[in-house]
Amino acid sequence: MLKAQSRLGIIFFPAFDWAISATHPEREERLLYTQDQFKEEGIFDIDGIAEYRPLIAEEKDILRAHFCFPDVASVCTNSHLISAGGVIRAAKLVMEKERERAFAVVRPPGHHAMRTVHGSRGFCNVNIEAVMIEWIREHYGNLRVAVVDTDCHHGDGTQDIYWHDPDVLFISLHQDGRTLYPGTGFPSESGGPKALGRTINIPMPPRTSDDGYLMTVKNIVMPILDHFKPDLIINSAGQDNHFSDPITNMNFTAQGYAKLTAMLKPDIAVLEGGYAIKGALPYVNLGISLALAGVDFSAVQEPELDRDRIREQQSTMDYLKALCDQLPEVYFNPRPVDVVREGGYFVRRRSIYYDTDDITETQVERVKDCPHCPGLIITESETAQTPRSLGLYVPVQGCDLCSQEAEERFSKGRQAGFAHVQLSDRIAKKYTYIK
Amino acid sequence: MLIGIDVGGTHTDGVCMRDGRVEAMVKVPTDHDNLLATISEALHSILKDCTGAQIRTINLSTTLSTNAIVTGRTEKVGMFVIPGPGIDARSYALGDQYHILSGCTDHRGAVSAKARVEFVKPLAAKCREEDIRVYGVVGKFCTRNPEQELAISGALAPQADFISQGHRVSEALNFGRRISTAYYNSAVWRTFNNFANALEQSVRNLNLQSDINIVKADGGTMPIRLAREIPVQSIFSGPAASVMGILSTVPVSEDALILDIGGTTTDIAVLLNGIPLLERDGISIGEHQTLVRALKVESIGIGGDSFICSRGGHLQVGPDRHGPCMAAGGPSPALMDAMNILGYASFGDRERSARGIKEVAMAQGLSARECAEQAVDLAMTLLKKKVDAFLAAINARPVYTIQEILEDRMVKPKSILLIGGPAEAMVPLLEQKFSLPAIAPQFSQVANAIGACLTRPTQSLVLTADTSRGRFTVPGLGIHKTVKRTYTLEEAVHDATTLLRSELDRQGIPAEDGDIQVIEADAFNMVEGHYTIGRNIRVRCQMRPGVITTLAS
Repeated sequence: MLKAQSRLGIIFFPAFDWAISATHPEREERLLYTQDQFKEEGIFDIDGIAEYRPLIAEEKDILRAHFCFPDVASVCTNSHLISAGGVIRAAKLVMEKERERAFAVVRPPGHHAMRTVHGSRGFCNVNIEAVMIEWIREHYGNLRVAVVDTDCHHGDGTQDIYWHDPDVLFISLHQDGRTLYPGTGFPSESGGPKALGRTINIPMPPRTSDDGYLMTVKNIVMPILDHFKPDLIINSAGQDNHFSDPITNMNFTAQGYAKLTAMLKPDIAVLEGGYAIKGALPYVNLGISLALAGVDFSAVQEPELDRDRIREQQSTMDYLKALCDQLPEVYFNPRPVDVVREGGYFVRRRSIYYDTDDITETQVERVKDCPHCPGLIITESETAQTPRSLGLYVPVQGCDLCSQEAEERFSKGRQAGFAHVQLSDRIAKKYTYIK
Repeated sequence: MLIGIDVGGTHTDGVCMRDGRVEAMVKVPTDHDNLLATISEALHSILKDCTGAQIRTINLSTTLSTNAIVTGRTEKVGMFVIPGPGIDARSYALGDQYHILSGCTDHRGAVSAKARVEFVKPLAAKCREEDIRVYGVVGKFCTRNPEQELAISGALAPQADFISQGHRVSEALNFGRRISTAYYNSAVWRTFNNFANALEQSVRNLNLQSDINIVKADGGTMPIRLAREIPVQSIFSGPAASVMGILSTVPVSEDALILDIGGTTTDIAVLLNGIPLLERDGISIGEHQTLVRALKVESIGIGGDSFICSRGGHLQVGPDRHGPCMAAGGPSPALMDAMNILGYASFGDRERSARGIKEVAMAQGLSARECAEQAVDLAMTLLKKKVDAFLAAINARPVYTIQEILEDRMVKPKSILLIGGPAEAMVPLLEQKFSLPAIAPQFSQVANAIGACLTRPTQSLVLTADTSRGRFTVPGLGIHKTVKRTYTLEEAVHDATTLLRSELDRQGIPAEDGDIQVIEADAFNMVEGHYTIGRNIRVRCQMRPGVITTLAS
């Protein structure tokens, strides 16, 4: 009988009764063939691999990571609460040491969901990784966490949530934003003023395949991880770098994903995107699972794989080599960026488009330049549907001063003319709206 | 009239029943080296008591195949597997002649590489040299498309007496388990068929025209004609006969616990709405997992003869057994002795019970009564803990839809059914510990045979259809055909239940409405680009396990 070297828990939740719409890529059938493959391969018969069902996330779990306007129920269905509950289960398994590693194969995904949520962006409503990380930090203190996002799309939501957080290292590898949604994720995006070099973006040229991808991880990601020494490594394991993915242009394989996983050794992996549901997902999910469990994955391969057809051109490899030389500087010697300061606050004014729900949000984010902590985050946000709302966020490393200021602003929120006011105070563990 | 025979480890029980009443019963010692003689003896003896009666069916729960496997008296099997990419197929190897072929069928049943029949020839020759006459041919995803298995089987046919094909031994997905299932099926095939020949002959010699059915581990039976093809389904049928025995005694329609309390262990089983719960995949033979469906049963190391001692200053009960309890002349005090002292039981020599418990009590600095109370409480607490864990594991089973998560159908037993030697004595103890009503039904000495006798046939069927490719498969019946693009889930459910019903008819198994359960019925839209190109439909239905009738009181 096969035996896992690392005890792995898999939360497999295909949500067979949920879809964004009937022909949307994020639909009921998405994990059907992965389930077939898991069953036929007998993955849960491997000694050391066990299957778990998701928990259901509560409102406070969501509010630890998000401002939801007008409220949680309006932006979050049961499917989102269960998908978030799936990653919380993964965290629980690992933190309580029931399992050494966990893989949340759940849907819908989450990495395009930013701190403020008015609806769905890039098929995502709540950032399931962030919900999980904040659940961990709530129960186990402020751990150092590295999130390595290997989805083909830039993890702009996770980047936004951890932009100001020096204790969460966010690394995103993705197809160059000039060629793919959401059009961001350039090396110059390297973190807020208090967390410079804690956001690393690695844009890769279209048609990058196994050699180029693994070289990039080895030469950029691994040295940074070695230096950052995270307590936990989370992999946002999107599977749309696959050569057969219908909405991207990369040439990665199931073997490549398995090798990547073996190299990263994440404590927790979370499924993100990946819409080649027949040709890629069954094999990629199998490869990742076996690699996480430390079981031989060398025979995992797509039936129609033709390596010669998908190998990178020399020019792609040359480009990536140059990237490997320069990109580590973003972490090791971050260049100061221009920031707008108004009073004692760093300010970002943004317009954010929610492609899935067709919503345009206008947002002003103020972060207190606090000498004691990463600083209170004050977000003013409005859309055509939701009038001007206020979000107040005291980070997990927050100080009493920031907490007091948040409380004061919260109590005056209505007077100040905001339609909805949300407070998420991580040090007081207070997650609430003005009623 | 119906006859039920249960071949047990020490005794073989037989009953003859009419309208829910036992007309005749017999208990003979089991001769494992000549099961046929044992069974014939039981049959003779029963028939002597009901001469002239029309015997409609004979249901047999036999250890024949199990014993052959456990004692290693099985035939050599030549295995040919077609794994395609995935987990290394060497990890499923069984026997010396285990050959991995090229070729690949994917999860949709599409063949992307053909197994090369010409490569099979030299391997087949090797098997011939080894004088191998039975084979197993198993392909990954062969239940979706058996083409490759059929081709390889065709090449082996001239030298084979029997070939177990993956798609015929089980319709469930699980390549590794299907390999073990096919292997063991071929390994016991000859033993079982020789036995079946002899059995049918001896039944004919008795001038009986009865149908013979074999009891399976899932709490159902199968006609002997079918058992000849899949003899592996007859393994480990003992616990099933015992659970069905209870079900024939008390009708249950809600969630309930069944505890079969023996000397050394207690077996736990669960009824969900009165229907016995099955293992998710199948039973294990040693370290080899199979797809043989079986009732979910777990053994706990607490029984009437569980040894009571004082170890390191602490009282301990079980899991060891040092012979029978003292009341039955055993060497050391056991749980039954403690229950004797407390007045729950009055079994055997109560003086000896008192003596034994007193010794342990002294070591603990307790009175005999206190010691007995503590020992009994310890045993009940342990039992409760294990039962709770068993239920918790069932309730934590994975589910795959939002609706199921929100509904959260938990197994919550409303009562406990107890059988076994100490059952009656334990009723008040368990009622108190579990806060549930407990019943120890008046249980016959030949309960397992009654269970075997009254057990109905079970059969399940899986239908998958992929309308984009026009494929329709029912692997269990060997149906692989095309289907129209407009085929719907409703039609599939109708077809699946109709096919199952006509298969049951063909086997002469009566099925009433409500006996055929649809366990799963899903249709998924398949989308390519932004267009729906078809539906992927899966329907699973079964003739549910049950008893023909309950015992007349």
